[in-house]
Amino acid sequence: MEKEQYQQLEQNITPPTPYLKNAVKAFVVGGLICTIGQAVSLFYIVFFNFTEATAGNPTVATMVFFAMILTGFGLYKRIGQFAGAGSAVPVTGFGNAVISAAIEHRSEGLVLGVGGNLFKLAGSVVLFGVVSAFFVALIKYILVTIGVVSW
Amino acid sequence: MVIIFPSKPSLLAGGVVAGPLEDRSTFKQYFDTVYDDERWQMDTNEQGHRKMVEEACEFVMKKGGITTAEVDYLLGGDLVNQMTPTNFAARELAIPFIGLFSACATSVSAVIVASLLTELGAANYSIAGASSQHNAIERQFRYPINYGAQKPQTAQWTVTAAGYALVGKHREDAPSIEAATIGKVIDYGMDDPFHMGAAMAPAAFQTIKSHLDERKQEIYHYDLILTGDLGQLGLKLLKGMLVESGIKNEELTLLRDAGAEFYGQDESFQSGASGAGCSAAVFFSYVMQELRAGTYKRVLLVATGALLSPLSFQQKETIPCTAHAIEITMK
Amino acid sequence: MMLPLFVCMTLLIGCTEKEKFIVYGSPQNEAELESVLKEEKSVEKSTVIQYDDKMLVAVQIKPLKKWNTTKIEKKLQKKFDEKYPSKEVFVSADYKIFYEANKIKKDQLEDNKLSKKITELQKLAKEET
Repeated sequence: MEKEQYQQLEQNITPPTPYLKNAVKAFVVGGLICTIGQAVSLFYIVFFNFTEATAGNPTVATMVFFAMILTGFGLYKRIGQFAGAGSAVPVTGFGNAVISAAIEHRSEGLVLGVGGNLFKLAGSVVLFGVVSAFFVALIKYILVTIGVVSW
Repeated sequence: MVIIFPSKPSLLAGGVVAGPLEDRSTFKQYFDTVYDDERWQMDTNEQGHRKMVEEACEFVMKKGGITTAEVDYLLGGDLVNQMTPTNFAARELAIPFIGLFSACATSVSAVIVASLLTELGAANYSIAGASSQHNAIERQFRYPINYGAQKPQTAQWTVTAAGYALVGKHREDAPSIEAATIGKVIDYGMDDPFHMGAAMAPAAFQTIKSHLDERKQEIYHYDLILTGDLGQLGLKLLKGMLVESGIKNEELTLLRDAGAEFYGQDESFQSGASGAGCSAAVFFSYVMQELRAGTYKRVLLVATGALLSPLSFQQKETIPCTAHAIEITMK
Repeated sequence: MMLPLFVCMTLLIGCTEKEKFIVYGSPQNEAELESVLKEEKSVEKSTVIQYDDKMLVAVQIKPLKKWNTTKIEKKLQKKFDEKYPSKEVFVSADYKIFYEANKIKKDQLEDNKLSKKITELQKLAKEET
């Protein structure tokens, strides 16, 4: 059998990726995580002296804490298997990436293991997050300067 | 490519130990022990992996009724970098050792080398096999265990199991190795590490085809042709290729896959089981015991291996695969 | 985790039932204030607290207009500054301020504490982190 012929056979036999189903699952679970985040944010606004502008930081910290607990108990990977991007995109997904790497590399010691590998997966999120934030700010600055939008 | 063994070395005993999740395996009843701690009460996954290899070898020696001093060679391997678990187990066992790497096909390649040593008269007894530990292998090839990445339906689950067999001089009452085929490395341009079945199926096809052709056999000469860890999709692809090459559909019922059957129909394992320990565990427990029981008279074991590394696939290389086969008969 | 969700639900239900424009404190210009706020279409709810020369205008912007929150805030601030030059007006669209303003009304806060509270909220709204 030729390579092209085999690739044809492979295409026929492999079940197609259920994009729509995955998208719906990601939407529901991602939405649920964000609703919990909103509730946490509201909690900080109502019960503590945080405004909408300042409640972001403690909310993120709390959501990462939830992700840490779930990752530690091995539940986050199950959510991830079900939800895909729905649980990977919110900040809990970032927390999961950092914490899972920390747990994984604990056996190689604190410095070279945990320290060296903590951002193994999340490192590119940090890098490209900073880079894209820079460019978005730059574009906005230019638009404000020429008067299209205001801050 | 086919090696004929005139003296027919025998598989005298098999030792298989498996991890906690393998309690759900359909082959569980054939395993010697299913441990409830995947780290074997050691500190790290890799140490647990080593312990698992040691225990499997100890079972082999116990069941074969021999001591460490009587074993001439230990042949085996795993999937961890530089095969440290098996190497370290060899240190504990203190048996002359050669580490072998054919990825998930190591179980069969080790038996082939052991059979050659026996044929040569260099070994009275040698232990051959392979192993894999889920956590240690996942971190090696994919993501941290607790990272919530979604695995596609085509993915396979690395088993935690070690399977070793005692290879010795021919004995009437034991399954014997008549012939073996060392496979070529085949690359059909597959590059998805979450669809290994598709990458490995052509290698299995090539090896089965050349073994049958050179031995002048047909599929129906066998009672069972068992591939290592193609998974449900890989097995379908292999059958598809065999049909294409002119083999009748009804003969294909003799064709089974250890990986596809390992966890039954449990969908949480996606396409089935994989890993060096998958084929080793099934071949050296289920198949050997069924041969002894007389269920099968002639079987062909085809272990398949995907020869990739995380580095090679990140560098956009395709996945080359290999498959080795042994023909085992029982009087 | 359920508590804030519960609070959120009761708040949402509570707010829709209540009147949309609330003025608390010295009641001399209620109608005027209401008409000024009603002019701004993107304002959904508002609570105004008055005390002496101080005025706290807490508004909630309609969901899809929230993109322009700062713009609307500024616009309202300017409008109120022009309309009541003698008063120290403070406009905020922050939920915290709105929540606290409603609480002032609900608790019927005494006059001597009112002034202090308004200054406090003004300071809180200026915080950035």
